[in-house]
Amino acid sequence: MHKFFVLLLLLPLSIFADIKIAVTYPYIGAIVKEISKDKVSTYVLAKGNWDPHFVVPRPSLIAKVRRVDGIIINGGELEIGWLPPLIKRASNSKIAKGSIGYLDLSRYIDFLDKPTKLDRADGDIHPDGNPHYHLDPKNILILAKAIKNYLIALDLDNKKEYETNYTSFVNLWNGKIKEWDKKMEDKKGIKIVQYHNNLAYFNNAYSLKTIGTIEPLPGIPPSSRHTMELINKIKAQKPSAILHDVYHSTKTAKFIASKTGIPVIIMPHDIESLDEIEDLVSLFDYLTSAIK
Amino acid sequence: MKKILLTTACAVMAFGMDTIPVEKREFSASKFVPDISLVLDASYVDRNVKDHEVSNLELEGIAHGLYGSHSHGEHAHSSYNASNGFNLNYAELVLSSSVDPFFEMNGVFHYSEEGVEIEEAYVTSTALDYGLRARLGKFNSNFGYLNEQHHHSWDFNDMPLVYEGFLGMHGINEKGIQFQYTAPTDFYLMAGVEILQGDNEQMFGNSEIHSEVDVNGTDFDFETEGEDGSTLTVAYVKTAFDIGETAILTGLSYASGTSHIDHTDDEEAHMFIADSKLYGFDLVAKYNFDSYSFFKLQTEVLYRDMDGTVTKFNDDQTALVTPSVKKEQAGAYIQAIYAPSKTWAMGLRYDTFFKNTINDVDGADDLAKYSVMTEYKTSEFARFRLQYNRNEALSEDEEGRVDMNTIIFSANISIGAHGAHAF
Repeated sequence: MHKFFVLLLLLPLSIFADIKIAVTYPYIGAIVKEISKDKVSTYVLAKGNWDPHFVVPRPSLIAKVRRVDGIIINGGELEIGWLPPLIKRASNSKIAKGSIGYLDLSRYIDFLDKPTKLDRADGDIHPDGNPHYHLDPKNILILAKAIKNYLIALDLDNKKEYETNYTSFVNLWNGKIKEWDKKMEDKKGIKIVQYHNNLAYFNNAYSLKTIGTIEPLPGIPPSSRHTMELINKIKAQKPSAILHDVYHSTKTAKFIASKTGIPVIIMPHDIESLDEIEDLVSLFDYLTSAIK
Repeated sequence: MKKILLTTACAVMAFGMDTIPVEKREFSASKFVPDISLVLDASYVDRNVKDHEVSNLELEGIAHGLYGSHSHGEHAHSSYNASNGFNLNYAELVLSSSVDPFFEMNGVFHYSEEGVEIEEAYVTSTALDYGLRARLGKFNSNFGYLNEQHHHSWDFNDMPLVYEGFLGMHGINEKGIQFQYTAPTDFYLMAGVEILQGDNEQMFGNSEIHSEVDVNGTDFDFETEGEDGSTLTVAYVKTAFDIGETAILTGLSYASGTSHIDHTDDEEAHMFIADSKLYGFDLVAKYNFDSYSFFKLQTEVLYRDMDGTVTKFNDDQTALVTPSVKKEQAGAYIQAIYAPSKTWAMGLRYDTFFKNTINDVDGADDLAKYSVMTEYKTSEFARFRLQYNRNEALSEDEEGRVDMNTIIFSANISIGAHGAHAF
C-alpha cells in the first residue's frame, strides 16, 4: 500500500517531464537520459539501424520538432541532408541556432580527417572532417559534460540533479573505459578494412589501422575495379577483418571475404542498430568484443 | 591525441561559450558567399509526332498549344523536352543564404537558350516563432504536393497531365506573399494562405488583352481591361502522420482567381475571361525498407470550375460574339516509385481527365496518359533517366485524336551546395 502511494506520487513526474528535447541520433538520447533521468523527455528523430547520413525527413518529425524546448544535434554536417527542412518548417524559436535550446555537439570535438581540399570528385566528403566522433568512448565524456551544462542552462531548477547524475555517469564511464582499454590492448596496431570510414574515432582510440574501404570514395557505391584492387591489397597487407556497418549491404564484403579468407564483422554504430545494443555501455561492450 | 583532448576539455570548461580553438578563429569574407548550385537538365527525345505538329495538339476543351516551342504575347519559351533530338531544358542557378538572424533568401534563375527567367526569388522568415512562417517575392505556390517542387526533384521528366492542362508548364509560380502556420499538435498539421498577383497564362491571369485581328480587310478588336492588383488567392491545409513505418502526407488545396486567356493569335482567334476556382487533393505515402530503398505512392486530384465569357468570331466571321461559358473539369494522376537501392529507381504513372463538362455538356472525358521510367544515379548529384510516355489525351482540329509516343533520355546534373529537399 505504501509502495503504491509512493508510485502514485512519482507517476505524474515521470509522465509530465519538465522539458522536452529532440535529439537527432539515439546515442545522444542515451546521454541525455543518463544525465536527466526522468527530468527530461527526449524524442529521437533518426533510427539507430539506418544510415545516419540518410534519414527520411518525414513530415511527422516536424510536429515533434515544433513542440520541443530544445534540440541536440551531432553536427559536422551529418544531419545536413535531412534536418534543415524540418527545423525551417517547425518555426520554433526555442531551437533556433544561437538560442540556449540549440546544442551542436560537434563544436566540442576536434575532428579527424579534416579534408585539405574540397572537391566532389573525391566523393561525398564532410568539409569539417569525419563526423562519426561518438565512437571514441573518451568523446562520450566530453559530450556528457556539454549536455549537462546545456540542461542546467535550460532548466536551472534541477541543476543539482543533473550534476549528481553527471558525476555518477562519469564514474561509471571511466571505469568502463579502463575495462575496454584492457580488452582492446592486444588489438593495437592491427589492420582492418571498412565499408565507409565511420569507425575512424574508434580506430583512433584503440590504434586500429584502416587500410582501405569497400566504397571507392565516401558515398560512392562499390565498383568491380575498386573491389579487385582491394582484394589484392588485402592479400598483400593481411588485415584481420572487414569491419562492416549495419546499414549497407554486405554483398561486396562477403565476396571479398570469400576471395581473401578474412572475416566480415558487423560493427554497430549506434544504439538499436542491432537488437542487443540497448544502451551506450552495451554499444561499446559489443564493439570492443567484436574483433576476435 | 591527449593534447587535443586536453585543449577541448579546457575549452569546454568555459561554460556557455562555443569552443573554437584560436587557430580556427579567422575572418574571411568568403564565408559569407551564399550556397551556390547549378543544375543542368538536358535530354534526347524521340517522338512519333513531328515538332511542327506538336504545337497544334490540344487537350480538348482544356488547353491547347501546350507542347513544343511556343509564344504567348511577348514571352517566348519552350516547354521541357520540346524538340525531337537534343534539348537543353535549362541550366538553373540557385543561390541561398541567411540574410540576418530573421530572414533567409533564395533565388532560382532559370537559364535557357531563350534567355533567363527569374523562376523564384523570395525571402522567408526564420524567427517568427509559434509555428509561423512568412514568405514574400516570387515563388512556387504550396498548392497541392508537386507544385512547390522544382523540375529536378520530380520523379518524371514532365509534369502530370492535369497540372499541364490546367496550369501550364510552370504550375502556380507567382509573385506575392505567403503565410503558413504549423500547429503544436502531436501529428503534423499545417495551414497556409497565399495572396498572389495572378500571372498564370493558362488559368489565373489578369493582364490586359488588346489585340486587333484582321479578317478579309476588316479589323476586329479583342479587348479586355487588365485588373490592377492581385487577383489570385490560394489556401491549403496539410497533415502528416506515420502508420507503422509508412509516412503519410495529405492535404486539401484551394485557389481562386480571374482568368484572362489570350488566344487571339490562334487560327481561331478567341479570348476567355472568367472567374475560376481550382480545388486539389493530394496524398503521398512512402514506405522505407531501409535507409536507401523505398516504395512511394503519390496521387493528386484537381477539379476546376471556370465561369465566364468567351469572345470569338461568329460562324461567318463577320462579327465578334461573347457567349457565356462554364467549364467544370477534373483530372488526376497516380504514380508509384520503387527504389531498390540508392542508385536505382523505377516508376509508373497514370494520368487522366475524368470530367470535362462545358456548359453542362460532357465533352471528351477519356483522356489518358501512361508513363514509365527508370533512373540511375552515380551519386546524389547526377541522375540519368529513361522515360516512355504514351499520351492518349491529345487531339488535332482536323485529324481528331492523335496518340503520341515519346521516349525521353535525360540527364540531370548538379554542382555546388544545394539545400536539402523536404519530404
